[in-house]
Amino acid sequence: MKETRHQFREDLKELEQQVLGGLDLVTGQLDRALESVSYQDVELAAMVVADDDRIDGRYLEVHQGILSMLARQAPVAGDLRIVAALLHVIRCIERMGDQCVNIAKLVPLSGHESPKDKDILDAVDRMGQLARSQVSQAREALGSRNVDLARDLARQDEEINRLNREIFRRAVEVGDDLDLREWAMYMILVARCLERIGDNTVDIAEQVVFVVTGLFREMDPTATPETIRAP
Amino acid sequence: MSVFSEAAVSPRRRRTDRLMRVALVAATILALIPLVLVIYYLLKEGLGSINKAFFTQDPSGSFFGAVGGVRSAILGSLEIVLLATLISVPIGIGVALFLTEYGKDSKFANVVRYFVDVMTGVPSIVFGLFIYISLVLTHVGGNFTAWKASVALALLMLPIVIRSSEVVLLLVPASLREGALALGAPRWQVIFRVVLPSARTGLVTGSLLAVARGMGETAPLLFTTAGAAGLTFSLSGQMNALPLQIYNDILSPRAAVVAQAWAAGLTLVAIVLILNLVARAVSRRSRMA
Amino acid sequence: MIPPDTTSKEPSQMSTAREQSEQAEATPDRSGSVESRPGRGIKVRGLNAYYGKQHAIKGVDIDFPANQVTAIIGPSGSGKSTVVRCINRMHEEIPGARADGSVTLDESDVYAPDVDVTAVRRVIGMVFQKPNPFPTMSIYDNVAAGLRLTGTKPHNLRETVNTTLRAVGLWDEVKDRLNEPGVGLSGGQQQRLCIARTVAVSPEVILMDEPCSALDPIATLKVEELIDELKARYTIVIVTHNMQQAARVADSTVFMLDGEVIEHAPTNDLFTKPKDERTERYVTGKFG
Repeated sequence: MKETRHQFREDLKELEQQVLGGLDLVTGQLDRALESVSYQDVELAAMVVADDDRIDGRYLEVHQGILSMLARQAPVAGDLRIVAALLHVIRCIERMGDQCVNIAKLVPLSGHESPKDKDILDAVDRMGQLARSQVSQAREALGSRNVDLARDLARQDEEINRLNREIFRRAVEVGDDLDLREWAMYMILVARCLERIGDNTVDIAEQVVFVVTGLFREMDPTATPETIRAP
Repeated sequence: MSVFSEAAVSPRRRRTDRLMRVALVAATILALIPLVLVIYYLLKEGLGSINKAFFTQDPSGSFFGAVGGVRSAILGSLEIVLLATLISVPIGIGVALFLTEYGKDSKFANVVRYFVDVMTGVPSIVFGLFIYISLVLTHVGGNFTAWKASVALALLMLPIVIRSSEVVLLLVPASLREGALALGAPRWQVIFRVVLPSARTGLVTGSLLAVARGMGETAPLLFTTAGAAGLTFSLSGQMNALPLQIYNDILSPRAAVVAQAWAAGLTLVAIVLILNLVARAVSRRSRMA
Repeated sequence: MIPPDTTSKEPSQMSTAREQSEQAEATPDRSGSVESRPGRGIKVRGLNAYYGKQHAIKGVDIDFPANQVTAIIGPSGSGKSTVVRCINRMHEEIPGARADGSVTLDESDVYAPDVDVTAVRRVIGMVFQKPNPFPTMSIYDNVAAGLRLTGTKPHNLRETVNTTLRAVGLWDEVKDRLNEPGVGLSGGQQQRLCIARTVAVSPEVILMDEPCSALDPIATLKVEELIDELKARYTIVIVTHNMQQAARVADSTVFMLDGEVIEHAPTNDLFTKPKDERTERYVTGKFG
């Protein structure tokens, strides 16, 4: 005999899968955006911009699904927390998608043959890798409801923020070459987008904790691991 | 072929259905025939004797001359049955209340119910005999007196009142009692202000049934009041009654007296009919109140 | 599964703000309502109830705070109706049924040996699942019934009846037909009439056993609004199998299962983050 509210459970699982799929889409977009920055690939960047429609579409689907679920099924307790969290997370996904588009839009502007600063490039690379791993970790934490993994994201985000500040400092000190300075400005903007993506993954982590514990806590990335873990 | 013709019942079943209807209507008509015949004969034989004298004069009892009327019998019947009602109805309703409100399913209540059921089956002549032996022969308060007839009739009417009242009281929904109890009403208030008023029509109808029965019984009257032709009002003496009058008159050699017996029978039926109409009027009025 | 809520004591901006708003919800603003007066709460301790040999309520403790609506939810047979009937001692009217334990209104125990049961029921009123106005009485008489049946004589009966009808929102609908039979009203109106009848004797507590089960959705909403108004003057306990209703109407909710209290929490908490796994399963419909 099927368990009660079988259809409801199926629909809820489906909704969650759509959200997790959205995170996969973001991962894909981020990869391609970063690649386009590294190789100055204008065509790849254009693809990223065009593909954002898929993420926007996913947002609308999930949003509609949530409205429908709230109206027809009146979820409570754990179910309600998941539905509320999914609404929050899909918005984060949409914003992350927009950030990827912003990164991609900066590619043609930074020029093909412009001079580059190795330190800044390395830092941006490193930021990109971190952002990518954070998105993956957020997906893992949400999918498996792993609170520890979620809390760890706040700690990792600290590194991205630090890199962001470092890139800014380096850009200020980069020298007198006008082209170099201009390129550095664009890198600051790219770094900013990546930092925003990091913040969104922390938001997702907060939602994971909320779903599991029923408590909503802002995660302060400047705090040390000990204070975050303390009950 | 339409959906409905596919789902229709077979012709054989339809025939059986019609046969059933015919059979039931026939049975009803069959049952009504004796009733109609009784009323017809009463009217045919008795209507002729109904006149002013019938109601205003007492039976003369003589073999010659005017036959008189049945006034003393009518009034006597009414008086005897009235007393019997006053005895049996309050006690009967009281017993029914005990059974439904207090006794319920207890052993004692079940024993009482059993005895009441037995009493409904006791022939009326036995009640007459009982009163004869216990009250008449012992010369308690006189010999043959009307009030002893009332007692005998009351015994007869009692189980009818109890049974019908219990049925009606059980029909009062438990939710009403609960509602009244939950307001903080003591149980006797619940009974008098909620249960009894709700059951009022049924109780009245049940009592009227008992009264109708009491009006027609002859045997108990024979042993207790024996009948007197003259008009009396005193319950401590002998009194005439319609069944007694009919009993006496029907075997008379005088045709006019026999005709009067028929008329008395008609009167008895008419009284019962009036009682029933009154019961209906009461129930209709209380529903609209 | 869910760790105990010790984190809420930590100073944190978000949770304090939310806790504060929850506090504000829990204590209703009584200053604006008509003739509000502080009511009295009920404490149930160690309540056991039996139907013959069957042990229906197993040592239950519940607090029903004054001037609040407490809902009792749970599957059929969980004992929620029984608990409520033990509070006004209607349980013992059932042949073979008995109860022990203590049910105190302020300091007076309903089960104390010298207590008059009818007095208990005058102070703790009850509204039933199926509206039961007295069929032989008019609307006016129905409202006055409680007063008459208990022998209380207010100085002005007519005024009391009219005020009570106003308090339950029936006045406008029936003012021209007070002498018509009570059973002539619609289901929702009949139920409000029964509430009026209960309220007319000025109880401290009103018990409601699934009061809206037999009503259509609009009548249900009207009764729920009435309950919200009534709590300013009375303490209300409502048994319901409709969780949405408990969520709408109750300040705090008790979840019962098999004659025991599983969880008792502010309604908001019970329906967003229940502490017990069984509560979560019942409330989300995972019960088989």
